[in-house]
Amino acid sequence: MYPPNTRLRENLREAHSATWQCIAEPGSFWRGTERVSMVSEARAALECSLCVERKAALSPNAGNGNHRCATNLEPVMIDAIHRMRTDPGRLTKSWFDGVIAAGISHQAYVEMVSVVNASVIIDTLHRCLGLELPALPAPIEGEPSGDYNTDAVDDGAWLPVLAAEQVMNEETRMPSVPYIGRAMGLVPSAAQLFFQTFRPHYALIDIKLAISQAQTEFVAARVSALNECFY
Amino acid sequence: MLLRASGERDHTDYDLAAVTQNSGDTGVPHGDWLRKLVEAAIAGEWGALGDIRRDAAMAMGEQAAVDALTVAAAFNGITRVADATGIPLDTSTAESTVELRASIGIDDYAYAAKTERYG
Repeated sequence: MYPPNTRLRENLREAHSATWQCIAEPGSFWRGTERVSMVSEARAALECSLCVERKAALSPNAGNGNHRCATNLEPVMIDAIHRMRTDPGRLTKSWFDGVIAAGISHQAYVEMVSVVNASVIIDTLHRCLGLELPALPAPIEGEPSGDYNTDAVDDGAWLPVLAAEQVMNEETRMPSVPYIGRAMGLVPSAAQLFFQTFRPHYALIDIKLAISQAQTEFVAARVSALNECFY
Repeated sequence: MLLRASGERDHTDYDLAAVTQNSGDTGVPHGDWLRKLVEAAIAGEWGALGDIRRDAAMAMGEQAAVDALTVAAAFNGITRVADATGIPLDTSTAESTVELRASIGIDDYAYAAKTERYG
């Protein structure tokens, strides 16, 4: 997926290739073709004039017209993907409730969040390194498994999350399973897909990069601020 | 907030307010270059980022510049997961950062506040 001269570590290269292949396969709630369409739609969002108009407006609900879409996903999915890609800092609970009311199950939503944002990581890294975006993977036939975690719990998020005991890590001052690690726990395959992509980029302690932990945390925090992310 | 924990481990008092501002020095080494790399990456200013990446590589080393961008790419994804699922802060973080969040403006990003603001 990446040319050999890009100074990326081997575990990251392998993880991203695995993610790209996995996106093409049937998931728990979406077919491979739908998952690849999600990636295509996330890319189309960056060229969407309605998204540009909304992003510049005082309200994220401003703007008339249609999204510039690239797929035949349901309109509610297209809108959700475009908002997540272009204006994530203004997603709200009432917006989320509208997506669910339009017929997207919590489980299907979680899988969409995972696929879209795993692809955001991969596409962002390609752009950051001056590389062309990778070609979309060829979808693999098959039906979704329907598997999900029936033990997920309501614990303050918009949807059920992984149940986890909160054991504190004294060094990081974070729970052993931070909330972000529980967020997609309703659909284990979705959590796995996203975190196999994310994990080679970051660690809470003893990071194995050419920048220090403090430099890493500054980069992470600055991205969070620019994306207006509370967590 | 993890930057504060990192500072405590390093016995360094980083200026956390500079994280949420568009300028300022946190005290992190090569903070200026890291800021430029991140801001161009998140704004999608790919042409400018190429020049910044080259200059940052001369200042901090090529591997460091690439690693900074790998972290930025990862957080460009994971922040969206948090935003799309409305997860609260971990209890320990919430309890230990009340003043910090208020003082540097992070509370403005709280999901309840956004719902009130944007509907």
